[in-house]
Amino acid sequence: MITRNANGATSTAGSGNGAREIAIAVEHLTVSYGPTPALLDVNLQIPAGLLVGVIGPNGSGKSTLIKAILGFVRADFGEVKLFGEPAEKAKGRVAYVPQRGSVDWDFPITVQEVALMGRYGQRRWWQDRTHADYAAADAALEMVRMSEFRHRQIGQLSGGQQQRVFMARAMAQGADILLLDEPFAGVDAATERAILDVLERTRAAGKTLVVVHHDLATAAEYFDRIVLLKQRLFAFGPPERVLKPELLAEVYEGKLRAFMDLAE
Amino acid sequence: MYQAIVDFHSANPHLVKVLIAGTLVSLVCGVIGCFIVLRRMAFLGDALSHAMLAGVVVGYLVMKLVTGQEAHALAMLLGSIVAALITVVMIGFISRVSRIKEDSAIGIMYTGVFAVGGLLASLFADKIHIDLVHFVTGNVLVVRDSDLWMMAWVAVIVISVVLLFFRHLQLVSFDPVMAASLGIPVLLFDYVLTTCTALVVVSGVTIVGVILVVGLLVIPASTAYLLCDRLSRMLVVSALLGVSSFLLGYWFSEAINVAPGSAVVLAGCVQFLIVLVIAPRYGLIADWLRRRQAVPQQVVEDILGSLLRANEPNVHVGSVAKYVVGGHSRIRRALATLDRQGLLRLSGDTISLTPAGEKEGQRLMRAHRLWETYLEHVGTPADELHDRAHQLEHVHDEATLDYLDDKLGHPLRDPHGAEIPQDVVHVVPGAVISAAQLRQGTHATVEEAGPAAAARGLAPGMHIIAGPRVADDTLWTFELPSGQRVELDHHTTDEITVRLADKPDDNPADQPRSASS
Repeated sequence: MITRNANGATSTAGSGNGAREIAIAVEHLTVSYGPTPALLDVNLQIPAGLLVGVIGPNGSGKSTLIKAILGFVRADFGEVKLFGEPAEKAKGRVAYVPQRGSVDWDFPITVQEVALMGRYGQRRWWQDRTHADYAAADAALEMVRMSEFRHRQIGQLSGGQQQRVFMARAMAQGADILLLDEPFAGVDAATERAILDVLERTRAAGKTLVVVHHDLATAAEYFDRIVLLKQRLFAFGPPERVLKPELLAEVYEGKLRAFMDLAE
Repeated sequence: MYQAIVDFHSANPHLVKVLIAGTLVSLVCGVIGCFIVLRRMAFLGDALSHAMLAGVVVGYLVMKLVTGQEAHALAMLLGSIVAALITVVMIGFISRVSRIKEDSAIGIMYTGVFAVGGLLASLFADKIHIDLVHFVTGNVLVVRDSDLWMMAWVAVIVISVVLLFFRHLQLVSFDPVMAASLGIPVLLFDYVLTTCTALVVVSGVTIVGVILVVGLLVIPASTAYLLCDRLSRMLVVSALLGVSSFLLGYWFSEAINVAPGSAVVLAGCVQFLIVLVIAPRYGLIADWLRRRQAVPQQVVEDILGSLLRANEPNVHVGSVAKYVVGGHSRIRRALATLDRQGLLRLSGDTISLTPAGEKEGQRLMRAHRLWETYLEHVGTPADELHDRAHQLEHVHDEATLDYLDDKLGHPLRDPHGAEIPQDVVHVVPGAVISAAQLRQGTHATVEEAGPAAAARGLAPGMHIIAGPRVADDTLWTFELPSGQRVELDHHTTDEITVRLADKPDDNPADQPRSASS
């Protein structure tokens, strides 16, 4: 049995980090939608400034973990702390990039308006948006090289461009923590590269990124730390410690063979 | 101007009332309708309007019994809103706690609450004087002052909410997860929208009745949805379309003397159908034009293929037409599109490939010939090879071609003996590639060599020249700087990565260019 308990898993992560600030602390988190928990007693301490991948089989609670950190789903038990504060007090410090499939791409909204959404948290509800908001949105679009499309409706973009618009929104928000739900799903190799490039530049700016990822074959290459999840936390640490065949066999059960072929 | 309005009013006091009522109601219906359409809640509007009956009756009864007032407008309004909210909560409750899905839950609850209203209305028929027919079909012609005040208040409240909380409503409708992460109370705004819908429905029922009120909500908003790419504009356009459908419908009903409610909704429908056809981006004509303009991938590939095979700088349009399926105008259109994309130059009736077009053509020819080789490899009869490959060559993304090329051992010739063009996407000056992709005569510098290759004398930094393939093209030969020649198998060669020279002049290997089919 490998790092099954919470302490074992987190201690793997702790080594080699020095005294990094803890950006996200998840403590005894249990979330359920019915009798079966989506997350069970998850304990996790993610240091600031890292690019972290969350992997696990389908339905293993990856998206739920993201939504719990965002405060969108209510925890049955446990809590999430962001930079040492309860998550409710850190509203706006977390930005979210939704899964492509969960966005209504026919919604009447332009690229620029989506980027401006990132600034909503900066204004009280009666305040109009300012030049600073437009400047921040434009700068963010520039960073992901989407400026020329700013007046397009979001449905009129390619898959990779759509992904980059939501990256821009997260940038404009100026959040310290970015949560991304499957940003690489359904994009071609060149786009995947481009998105990864944006992620790496964001990390270089000192942000903490947590990315739900489905492709085991690229996980080791992309991420500093990996969260291996299936309802419970199975491991958290550097890729070489987490992506071990025996650990993956336990989490992925029968579905592992495909991965082993890939890894060859 | 003002005097004109006053004169008009004193001449037709009732008409002015009708116009104000209809304009107010159709305007707010258009605004709230946008959210209903975007959030896919059309059925909810229906449910709310039916639930209203119970609320109206209860409100009426309570005021009658408590204060003795008949048909107290505010009480009936409050009753309607309460009934609507109860219905919504019950719908959510049922679909959450049982296996009943939301659409069925809506069907159950709104007919149930409507039935309660009908029952109460007939039970206390002697105490309350509600015209049920009026309630079901509505009638703008009998609008009272109290109704008018109610509509005005609804309009003020709803429009204020939308203006003040536009960003919140937009975000909650578009991306509730992000809204929650910013601390926006998503559930509260859901109820705010539901309450606004209930208010709007209550005022709409007066004009068009329970059955048609959904049309007032959904039709102008859907029409605007076809026209707008921004929510803010959609709200304005939808409101204007709502008002215009009311004015048109009302004028029409007066002209031929029919029920105004039906005429108003019908006018909205006609507006919708017209826009559905002519909308500049999302209309049927635009869609048809787009599809007509789009050149099928197959035609593009056939044109490039035939130009490449012709292998001369200037080709006449007529000789391309022989190889391409489709009429003359279709080919012309395809050629014009390819010209715009920079793949060929079309001047009069002569066509010449640009370098980009030649490259794309090479790629497609490579796809065809790799597929033919693959098909032969898996045992497809020789007489089917070409046709099947012709179907499959349209699957030609780079990953597929790389897979085929590697699996087939980087073949040089297809089953007909024609040369397979070199990979023009990866094999470019300065690129790092597998040594197995090198063709005879190409110079390259070794970047990495696997253990088997290292044992044969290859080392990083070494300059090598690819020699001919031997042993039925299964062995690669390379000339090392020492002048020594090594023969390596596929696996060993694959483990060598090489960098191609930066300038094409340093690389004397000519790009294979075959004229045979």
